[in-house]
Amino acid sequence: QVSVINTVDTSHEDMIHDAQMDYYGTRLATCSSDRSVKIFDVRNGGQILIADLRGHEGPVWQVAWAHPMYGNILASCSYDRKVIVWKEENGTWEKTYEYTGHDSSVNSVCWAPHDYGLILACGSSDGAISLLSYTGDGQWEVKKISNAHTIGCNAVSWAPAVVPGSLVEQPSGQKPNYIKRFASGGCDNLVKIWKEEDGQWKEEQKLEAHSDWVRDVAWAPSIGLPTSTIASCSQDGRVFIWTCDDASGNSWSPKLLHKFNDVVWHVSWSITANILAVSGGDNKVTLWKESVDGLWACISDVNKGQGGVSAVTEGQQNEQ
Amino acid sequence: LSRCVAGTAEGGPSSSHVFVVRKDQDIYIQTLRKLFNESHGIFLGLQRSEEELAGKPRKAQLVQVSKNYRSVIRACMEDMHQAAISTREPALQSQYSTQVSILSAMELIWNLCEILFVEAAAAGPLLLRLLDWVRLHVCDVDNMVREVLSSEQPSKHKLFWNVVDIFVLQGRMDEARHLLSKEATANPTSGNMYKILDDLMKKMPVPSLGNTQTLTEMELKWQHWHEECQRYLQDGTFASDSHMESICKILLGDEDAILEKKELMTTWYHFLVTRLLYSHPTVKPMELRFYAQAGNRISSLDLFLGGESSPEPLDTILMAAFEFEIHQVIKECSIALSNWWFVAHLTDLLDHCKLLQSHNLYFGSNMREFLLLEYASGLFSHHSLWQLGVDYFDHCPEYGRVYLELHIERIPLNTEQKALKVLRICEQRQMHEQVRSICKIMAMKALRNNRLGSALSWSIRAKDAAFATLISDRFLKDYCERGSFSDLDLIDNLGPSMLLSDRLTFLGKYREFHRLYGEQRFTEAARLLLMLMTAHIAPCSFWMTLLTDALPLLEQKEVIFSAEQTYELMRCLEDLTVGKSEKQKFQDDNETTKVEMLRLALARNLARVIVKEGTLEGS
Repeated sequence: QVSVINTVDTSHEDMIHDAQMDYYGTRLATCSSDRSVKIFDVRNGGQILIADLRGHEGPVWQVAWAHPMYGNILASCSYDRKVIVWKEENGTWEKTYEYTGHDSSVNSVCWAPHDYGLILACGSSDGAISLLSYTGDGQWEVKKISNAHTIGCNAVSWAPAVVPGSLVEQPSGQKPNYIKRFASGGCDNLVKIWKEEDGQWKEEQKLEAHSDWVRDVAWAPSIGLPTSTIASCSQDGRVFIWTCDDASGNSWSPKLLHKFNDVVWHVSWSITANILAVSGGDNKVTLWKESVDGLWACISDVNKGQGGVSAVTEGQQNEQ
Repeated sequence: LSRCVAGTAEGGPSSSHVFVVRKDQDIYIQTLRKLFNESHGIFLGLQRSEEELAGKPRKAQLVQVSKNYRSVIRACMEDMHQAAISTREPALQSQYSTQVSILSAMELIWNLCEILFVEAAAAGPLLLRLLDWVRLHVCDVDNMVREVLSSEQPSKHKLFWNVVDIFVLQGRMDEARHLLSKEATANPTSGNMYKILDDLMKKMPVPSLGNTQTLTEMELKWQHWHEECQRYLQDGTFASDSHMESICKILLGDEDAILEKKELMTTWYHFLVTRLLYSHPTVKPMELRFYAQAGNRISSLDLFLGGESSPEPLDTILMAAFEFEIHQVIKECSIALSNWWFVAHLTDLLDHCKLLQSHNLYFGSNMREFLLLEYASGLFSHHSLWQLGVDYFDHCPEYGRVYLELHIERIPLNTEQKALKVLRICEQRQMHEQVRSICKIMAMKALRNNRLGSALSWSIRAKDAAFATLISDRFLKDYCERGSFSDLDLIDNLGPSMLLSDRLTFLGKYREFHRLYGEQRFTEAARLLLMLMTAHIAPCSFWMTLLTDALPLLEQKEVIFSAEQTYELMRCLEDLTVGKSEKQKFQDDNETTKVEMLRLALARNLARVIVKEGTLEGS
């Protein structure tokens, strides 16, 4: 059973587009059409506003927390074509980097697994995907994939860091050879999988099943199985679960989770990838789990709020 | 388990709300803490003993484990009950009371499962166990009994016959007879009836626990006794006293007579056991289902409820147990209860009894593991119970480790102690990735709070060369600015970990130079200083500082640097200055003065040392 335990009154003056818990579930970052990004301390059911970040000139679509080993870092992207990376230094939050390399609204940002370093993927309505890598000393290196999706890219999601042959113990100290991959969803109704080869990003797979714009993609965390799983949701009201059984990542097969009556905006996996949270315009958040016979069943329903539910994240929260 | 955050897209300005939603609220109830902690101990004990006595039959031990779990539930129930009566807040009180009834139901179910599955009581003892079970869980009797017995004339008490009846219904013959004797003394006229009834009750054959009689013997005896009761009833022996007549009918297993006492029995499972006692005391385990099953012609549930109400979740669960549908029991309990504690522990126990077939699920190789994973995951969102979760994951062979890896990284490390605790757990299990990650996080945190020493020791622990270099640079920068080192202890005792990064090595060696200087071991200090530059351990940016450090050594009364060394120093100085462009050279007056002073000091030293080295001993 799922119950509402807390309501955070964010005092945002307009629609909230995203709400993300940090790694430990102690902080909440929200962003809104009122152009601000707010950070709250939500320990013990409280809600203390820690920061109100201004810097965007348009609605802010998404926020993403980086891994705590890099410090307290938050990325945000907005309609104003900018991606801003914020960092907490000496107790105050400041802009540490601003990227303006897109020609149109940036719709999604996602940090790569910490094993790869500090890398941010950004998807934009200009159809391109940028990869910003922190190289040290306040410097960021940019790689761009132009025309990743025709019309625009709506979502990006990284694959978990899994070393090929990861069942074998790596000698400590050696840097393993990761194959970096991420998934993107766009206005061309496609979900694409990108792979880095020799420093270049190439399109590895094209997943076709949706009949309208793909709104969100989420690559499930790895629990050590050789299978990979991606969830995608679309304007067409459908949510698909894609699985790939072989390690080389060649054959992906979709399974329809459910067809909803309205746009599905977001999908998000729990830490151990056994629960998928789905939110949509039908004003509901639903949680789904795979049953014994491979069918997905809805395990609960959280029906709150007036207007569509636009963002969902699964995180772990800890009582302090 | 996890917390889900839902953001709402609102049209109106009034409520821009974010809702935080959570599963597994129960772990936050203070009074249940004991349940989780103690059952954790029992769980671990069970796993370990399994490893030690693998394969050997150990039914008695498993029954003991089951009893231990039940006593923990009862202890918790008691605490909860105390909390309920001592609180004054009605909301809390109702919450506690609800918890008490839930715990009570859990114990009821567990007890039945223990009888049927763990102990797997055979025909004979089965009935006795079921009788105990019923007696234990219908508490109202005691109050009634006390009331009646403490009255002046018990047999005149309005509840007298109720109490006698309930004793009979629960097979408590001695107590029933004792009460009846009071009636006999009060009513000498019915003396004869009483004697006969008393006799019948005394002679009633019951299954024995030991091996004193076989089932067939018992059945034979019982048949004779049953016939005797029948005779007395038909002769109209008890015709004049409706109470005694009804008791005789009950003894004969007359369903209608038993059902008349519905209010006293209160539950259909009490009715079930009473029926069995008086119609089929040698019932075999597998026959129970026929007496229990809903929809069956002789279903206890249907007869009892009489179509007035529908079964509740508890009824469904007990029904499934009587039908020996273990998977059904687990499934129904999972649905009815709000957390995984009960099903996880019960299933684990049943698995140890080798009662669960392997049921392949996507998450977890079998039902046991699946439930344990769910339960343990739920514990991880609690600030201290997560430690219990670690042990549960340890005993999930398929996915326990990876679940632990994923969860343990998410524990907030607000204090050093907590971080160390988590680290120890990771190190014990060779989770190197997690160790590295946690150390890096702690190092970063320390650095942000300007605790350089702490940051350095964390990055050494993480074997993070890059970070160690960064921190060493900070130390050196601080030294340049303030002229002293912080965290001397740490730097002095680096030992072999100094080799982690070049910069760190330099930091350690540089500090050593200062120490030597402080101890006035000038020759060694000088040698070290030179070595730092010539062996390129020192970064170029630091050479100026090092050369400046050499000044006092050059100005000493005694000559310290040899000619060779002086030439080296001069070379270093030239390397340093030649690299600078024309415009850089004269920008910093301070810099130029220093260079000039150095050149002078070096020249003077050279002069002195040439003379010294050129002088023969003794002359």
